[in-house]
Amino acid sequence: MKLEIKDLHVSIDGKEILKGVDLTVNQGEIHALMGPNGSGKSTLAYTLLGHPKYQVTKGDILLDGESILKVAPDKRARKGLFLAFQYPVAVQGVTMFSFLRAAYNASHTTNPKEPPTIFDFREAVAEKLKLLQMDESFLNRYLNEGFSGGEKKRAEILQMAIMDPKFAVLDETDSGLDIDALRIVAEGVTKLSGPNLGVLLITHYQRILKYVKPQFVHVLYEGKVLASGGEELSRKLEEQGYGWIKGYTPEPTDTEELAQKPAQSI
Amino acid sequence: MATKTETVADDYKEKYGFSDSTADYVVRGTRGLNEDVVKEISRLRDEPVWMEELRLKALRHFLSMRTPSWAPELGLIDYQSFYYYARSTAKSADSWDQVPEYIKKTYDKLGVTEAEQKFLSGVGAIYESDSVYHSIQKELEKQGVVFTDTVTAMKEYPDIMKKYFGTVVPYNDNFIAALQTAVWSAGSFVLVPEGVKVQMPLQAYFRINAKNMGQFERTLIIAEPHSEVNYIEGCLPADELVSKGYTLEPILAIDTREDVVAESGKIASVTKKFIHPYEGVMLTIVPQSRGNSFRLTPEHPVLAIKRSTVAIRKSRNGWLPEASTAKLLAAIPEYVDAGQLAVGDFLVYVVPTEVSDNSSFTETTLRILGLYLAEGSISFNKRLNLDVLAFSFGKSRKEKELAYELRDLIRSLGEKASVSRSRGTYYTVVTYSKKLIDLCATHCGIGAATKALSEVFMQLPTEKQMVLLVNYLKGDGNRYLKTHDSLMVRASTASRTLAFQIQEVLARSRIFANFSVRKGSKDKIKGREITRKDQYIIQYTESPRWSEVRSRGNHFFVPIKRIDRQDFKDLVYNLEVERENSYLVKGFAVHNCTAPVYSSQSLHSAIVEMIAKKGSLIKYTTLQNWSKDVLNLVTKRAHAHEDATVSWVDFNGGSKLTRKYPSVYLLGPRAKADIISVAYAGSGQTQDTGGKAIHLAPDTTSKIISRSVSKDGGHTAYRGLLHIAKGARNAKSTVRCDALLLDDRSTTATYPYMEIQEDDATVTHEASVGKVGEDQLFYLMSRGLSEGDALSMVVNGFMEPFAKELPMTYAVELNRLLALEMTNSVG
Repeated sequence: MKLEIKDLHVSIDGKEILKGVDLTVNQGEIHALMGPNGSGKSTLAYTLLGHPKYQVTKGDILLDGESILKVAPDKRARKGLFLAFQYPVAVQGVTMFSFLRAAYNASHTTNPKEPPTIFDFREAVAEKLKLLQMDESFLNRYLNEGFSGGEKKRAEILQMAIMDPKFAVLDETDSGLDIDALRIVAEGVTKLSGPNLGVLLITHYQRILKYVKPQFVHVLYEGKVLASGGEELSRKLEEQGYGWIKGYTPEPTDTEELAQKPAQSI
Repeated sequence: MATKTETVADDYKEKYGFSDSTADYVVRGTRGLNEDVVKEISRLRDEPVWMEELRLKALRHFLSMRTPSWAPELGLIDYQSFYYYARSTAKSADSWDQVPEYIKKTYDKLGVTEAEQKFLSGVGAIYESDSVYHSIQKELEKQGVVFTDTVTAMKEYPDIMKKYFGTVVPYNDNFIAALQTAVWSAGSFVLVPEGVKVQMPLQAYFRINAKNMGQFERTLIIAEPHSEVNYIEGCLPADELVSKGYTLEPILAIDTREDVVAESGKIASVTKKFIHPYEGVMLTIVPQSRGNSFRLTPEHPVLAIKRSTVAIRKSRNGWLPEASTAKLLAAIPEYVDAGQLAVGDFLVYVVPTEVSDNSSFTETTLRILGLYLAEGSISFNKRLNLDVLAFSFGKSRKEKELAYELRDLIRSLGEKASVSRSRGTYYTVVTYSKKLIDLCATHCGIGAATKALSEVFMQLPTEKQMVLLVNYLKGDGNRYLKTHDSLMVRASTASRTLAFQIQEVLARSRIFANFSVRKGSKDKIKGREITRKDQYIIQYTESPRWSEVRSRGNHFFVPIKRIDRQDFKDLVYNLEVERENSYLVKGFAVHNCTAPVYSSQSLHSAIVEMIAKKGSLIKYTTLQNWSKDVLNLVTKRAHAHEDATVSWVDFNGGSKLTRKYPSVYLLGPRAKADIISVAYAGSGQTQDTGGKAIHLAPDTTSKIISRSVSKDGGHTAYRGLLHIAKGARNAKSTVRCDALLLDDRSTTATYPYMEIQEDDATVTHEASVGKVGEDQLFYLMSRGLSEGDALSMVVNGFMEPFAKELPMTYAVELNRLLALEMTNSVG
């Protein structure tokens, strides 16, 4: 099974952000997608899950050979696609536990079996919590409400562990994390990865790649994948910056994610 | 779940659905409002003189009042058009056995018997205006708690009633209170003796039943010093039970955003799907083509031409009046409620207009497909490890020719094929061509009962479609001459879908084919037991002389042959279709969802008076979901004496308009008020709710929490009053109102009033308006939750401060109710 992105062009409000992205992730592979701010990384992440604001003007996204462009976000999730958000959204009054349970039951409806009982499910969740070194009291808190940056990111990986996707897109999961949190999150991702999971790790910085080892590294630049290679590519990026790609150092401004929230300093 | 079937003529008066006939009421009362009506109400109840006088005083006051400027809708009500009094049984019943059967039936529909089992016997239910069933839990009695209906209380506790009635909400308090005091009809009376704590929630179920029946219940709760009472009133989602829709299997599977064909023949997309449990009459409309029979509820509008409007002769000898072709072709079809349809009226069969050519179909492939549809099958041959496409023909010479013709057709495509005579006599054409197997499977399906034409094929130009059809009929069809030289074509198939599709293909070529169903059965052939599947028999004649069907444009007018009525109890469905407002049921145009429930407005106006004496505690919980044509105008007020606590917990879901501001007068030192008011307003609804706290003594505290949700253009308003009087020193008050808007069409408003006359009061007031954003929904949907589930999760979370105050059963009910609102849009 593979996730294929073919000549993908995406616009927001008429402005073209992605200008023909080609990328294929097979189950079992870890790909890192790097790129400077404004290169379209988050746009790609949102588009993969079908955010209505992002319009695909050309190209296709295929999951297991089938186009999912016309598939609603919830159905994409049920097909095994997962997005760890850069900025997870808070929902008041909804406990983490009831949310996880709803998400689990929704994404496992293809199985004719009964949903697990509350007690069984709670046990299963407790195990995953340990993996991310989170306390069980976490489950009684409202979804992302008042969470610190690190808690939010851990909560995203917890959701990924519960939903057990076939492909996971991690959108700058490393940003806003201190070094301990980064290590815990990265170890969580590593433990979840395996032959049944394809990972697209979107990152601005190279440091998470110390913990999560990708087989493939791609560089997204001004809406196109300009370079692909192995780990050596990320080292080169660290040493020389993005500038060498086009002999140009882009300014870290004016992206939609920056507009939502100031970039976290590390 | 049909229990009986009967054929009806075009006119029947019987009421159907949930409303029990008003004829069953023992005393109906007369419409209108005057002194005689009020006296009659009082007389029928054997009331003491003071009560009758109070009613008359209230009536005179009401008639002299102007409608308040802040509630303009009150001026629009025709108060003379209501029945102010209806009595369902002559006597109140003490036990379940004494409750009349037809009322029990209503309770069954409401699920009250089940609730009774759950909550033991603490039930005081109001049916229409009277309490008919009133059983008091034995322990309550032992504790000295009085829980009875207000009418009985007036007789058995005249002194207490006279002392307290109308003291918390005086008759001249407001416009609606004046009306209510004049005509109040039933309600509950609760008296909790000193020091007694009533743990069991008391239940009162009620709903407005008869059309135009104003419901004016009056509740009085008195908590003696240091007692505690927890009173819960509930109203099951009446909308669910009176709502209507229509049913047809496939609608189950249609989701929003999917496309359907509308009256015009154009494709339009479904914007909303409605699902309701429905119990009542279900009509089966049987048109000339019996296979197209469809079922719907009597209220569902169907596009039709009434025979009476196109008839040229009156009905004679039991024959239907003859319709004029000229008049029929000039008539403009209109939407008519299915219940108004009669045998002989014309339905409108709509021919879809979307055509898109596809060059991958050639005459050769279409001919092969036609023969496949009739005679072909695809199977897997294990020995060869290959898919095999086989066409079975008969043994006649004609069939033999057809077999060889087919072989040559396949060979002309460069594929291999051979003719064999299996089992000695029958001609079989076999090919292993992957290309052809794919083609047949894609465009015609596999298996006799599940064969169906592809979407691509169904949109081809008619000339191409007819190539396939002609070849199909060569195989499965037969044509024979009827008298008068009319050629009759007949074909049969085991696939229901295919039968509809062939009808549509013919219709695109301006031929209306009838089809009927021959039910499957067991049979014996040469001693061998066989099971025949249902067969769909399509037939048409090329000269339409003998049919009453006429066509105009892409419409066929098809007469109704029969209408069956059945009792029905199950879910019903309806769709909302963008732009077009119609969709097709078995080819016939019906209107999309329509305004449900009664057309004339119903008024519900209640007064609840509560007196919490020194150190006592009263908690009154309401979970209301009136049907969406009801005006719900309620005055709820409590007196809280020294150290007493009063708490109102209020949910308002249904009704067209609700005005309800539960209030607490803090009369003694350290008295406390807790008001939680939660409202949901959907399409066409206004929830004008809030709370009032009047601090009249020192060290009193109040807390008002309001949460409202608006969706689909609904409007919510918070209207609140905080009054801290001179002398109410050291008062504390918190007011918090939050509104959630689920779309751009919905609105909310906040009208907080504060009158603070003491300097040392501690007052906080917070208000917020939030919107469910695209990002919030996307986030939840990215975790596999459908849009509806995501919305109801957000809404349930928002309502959480209210839900946690509810007993489990009610919390579950509330969740279910909100989920229904979010996913299906009730009504």
